[in-house]
Amino acid sequence: MKVLIVEDERKTADYLQRGLTEQGCAVDVAYDGIDGQHLAVHHDHDVIVLDAMLPGLNGFELLRSLRAVKNTPVIMLTARDGVEDRVRGLRDGADDYLVKPFSFVELFARLQALTRRGRLQEATLLRVGGLSVDLIARRAVRDGQRLDLTAKEFALLALLARRQGEILSKTTIAELVWDMHFDSNTNVVEVAIKRLRAKIDAPFATPLLHTIRGMGYVLEERSAAA
Amino acid sequence: MFSAVALASFALIGFAVHELLSRDLARHQQEQVADRLADLQFMLEHGRSVDLVDRVHDKIAAVTSNGRTRYWLWSEDAVWRYGDDAERMADITRSKPGLLRLNMDSSRDQMALLAADIAATPVHPPLRLIAGIDTAPINQILRTFEIWLLPVMLCGALLVAALSYHVARVGLKPVAQLSADAQRIGPDNRAQRLRMPSLPLELAEFGSSFNSALDRLDTAYTQLESFNADVAHELRTPLANLIGQTQVALSRERDAVQLREVLQSNLEEIERLRTIVSDMLFLARAERGERAARRVDTSLAREIGKTVEFFDMLLDDAGLEVEVQGDANAAIETSLFHRAVTNLLQNAIQHAPRGARILAQVAATDEDVRVSVSNPSEPISAEQLPRLFDRFYRADASRSNSDANHGLGLAIVKAIASMHGGRVFARSEAGITTVGFSLGRSSGA
Repeated sequence: MKVLIVEDERKTADYLQRGLTEQGCAVDVAYDGIDGQHLAVHHDHDVIVLDAMLPGLNGFELLRSLRAVKNTPVIMLTARDGVEDRVRGLRDGADDYLVKPFSFVELFARLQALTRRGRLQEATLLRVGGLSVDLIARRAVRDGQRLDLTAKEFALLALLARRQGEILSKTTIAELVWDMHFDSNTNVVEVAIKRLRAKIDAPFATPLLHTIRGMGYVLEERSAAA
Repeated sequence: MFSAVALASFALIGFAVHELLSRDLARHQQEQVADRLADLQFMLEHGRSVDLVDRVHDKIAAVTSNGRTRYWLWSEDAVWRYGDDAERMADITRSKPGLLRLNMDSSRDQMALLAADIAATPVHPPLRLIAGIDTAPINQILRTFEIWLLPVMLCGALLVAALSYHVARVGLKPVAQLSADAQRIGPDNRAQRLRMPSLPLELAEFGSSFNSALDRLDTAYTQLESFNADVAHELRTPLANLIGQTQVALSRERDAVQLREVLQSNLEEIERLRTIVSDMLFLARAERGERAARRVDTSLAREIGKTVEFFDMLLDDAGLEVEVQGDANAAIETSLFHRAVTNLLQNAIQHAPRGARILAQVAATDEDVRVSVSNPSEPISAEQLPRLFDRFYRADASRSNSDANHGLGLAIVKAIASMHGGRVFARSEAGITTVGFSLGRSSGA
């Protein structure tokens, strides 16, 4: 995935660059609106991370000039919590937005969602290690053993399996499984993960569902060393 | 200002009186001349004695002895003529009928003249009779009046100006006092109020409403002050943890596992900070009067149902059950509504004893739609109830569980209610605590 980051706050730009590079992205960085516009227009990126407040040319202006020539997906970063900014960004052609402070996990998940959008239909049978999840029959089997899951547990597992290897934050999970679009301070997701883990991992030798403290959860097959 | 007004009124009054007086005097003068004329005219028209001419002359002499009145008689017959320049006088009065004012050559005085023709009788030929009176006394009256008018007017104006200034000063003294009192009110002197006993009745009402406005502001200010302290306190704990454990981690050589452990713990603290900050921003937005923008008309029971489903596993773990009662449609922004109901349910789950039943109710009236969540719990005192919605307020301070709950949950419910034109309410009766909010009926744009 080729990503352009347009962000004047050095520290933010740097950690985003490092984080995304480590996730296997090719990353270009611009620290002001003018450079950003140049890179965005003259190079091809899969997705652009665009700060709203920029020196030289602000994010909204950059977005408008970009939209005149290209349809590269754009995710806006807004520092202000105002609805105004968000509405403005979306109206001017942004595909998504994040309000600062945002979590890196959240940003990466949104970037993947944006680049996934429009791709061919996804597989209906997903495999992670010895676990297979059949999205059509709504059945999960591990090592030949049928797992007895409730509807929500299955929805959660399906999400984790579809995004295997990707860390999903509690907020993302609540949003995609329960359609709850806000930061809730509940431990609903933790409880759900605990229950799911009891069914898909506890009876087996190697765990597949991992907790990344402070960030979220990931479903993947790990070598014993990790 | 006062003196200008006083002077203007006096000038107006003076002018009017002068006009009236001079008119009245002129009328009086005319009457006097007419009387004199009629007197002699009568004698001339009706007198039949042979020596009428002598008697007329005698009478004229008697009447004019005071010098103020004069007569002229003009006739072709020289015997009947009387007065100097009688012919000229007859000509002058003929050229201008009616009352005539004439400056006499002989004297400095002006005379008011009136003339009449008297037809011939057996004892005399046709005559022209002219009567005149001296206008000096009447002019004198006017002149005296004029001389006195100006100083009297000026004195009056000055007096009135002085009096009204004094009255205004005394009358407005309470206002000056109010102003001085108000000057003293400031952030450092919030207890200062307008002094009420010294205020006259007209100002007392204003004073008391101003004072109660100050009371309300003071309360809000105090709340804000303690709120700032609370925020600082809430942020201090995670910050202290962050600083402390990072310092400890860096004070020795650590392996990657230990360092990761510290970073992860730091991340949890930072998440806590982030949550507090974004919730604070959310509350600030509501406080600034932001309204729910994307409202859609929908069934509240269905939306509550979705939220209850979110809590299913938690409820199961806690051995609790939720029953949704009633339904109504209302225009809501669903994500905000979910958030409010989530906070209410979470509050209920925290306080309900194991095995209890939680009741989520929707009730519609003509004015609003009410959503409430009831659960069995320890009774909450009447003075604590309204404070439940204060930020960082925890009814049971000892049981505060700062990891899961930073004390903004119900404040957020209140903010969401006001974003929908509604209010919050709480009651605690017979071991059941009910907390809820209303939604305005009118669907905002």
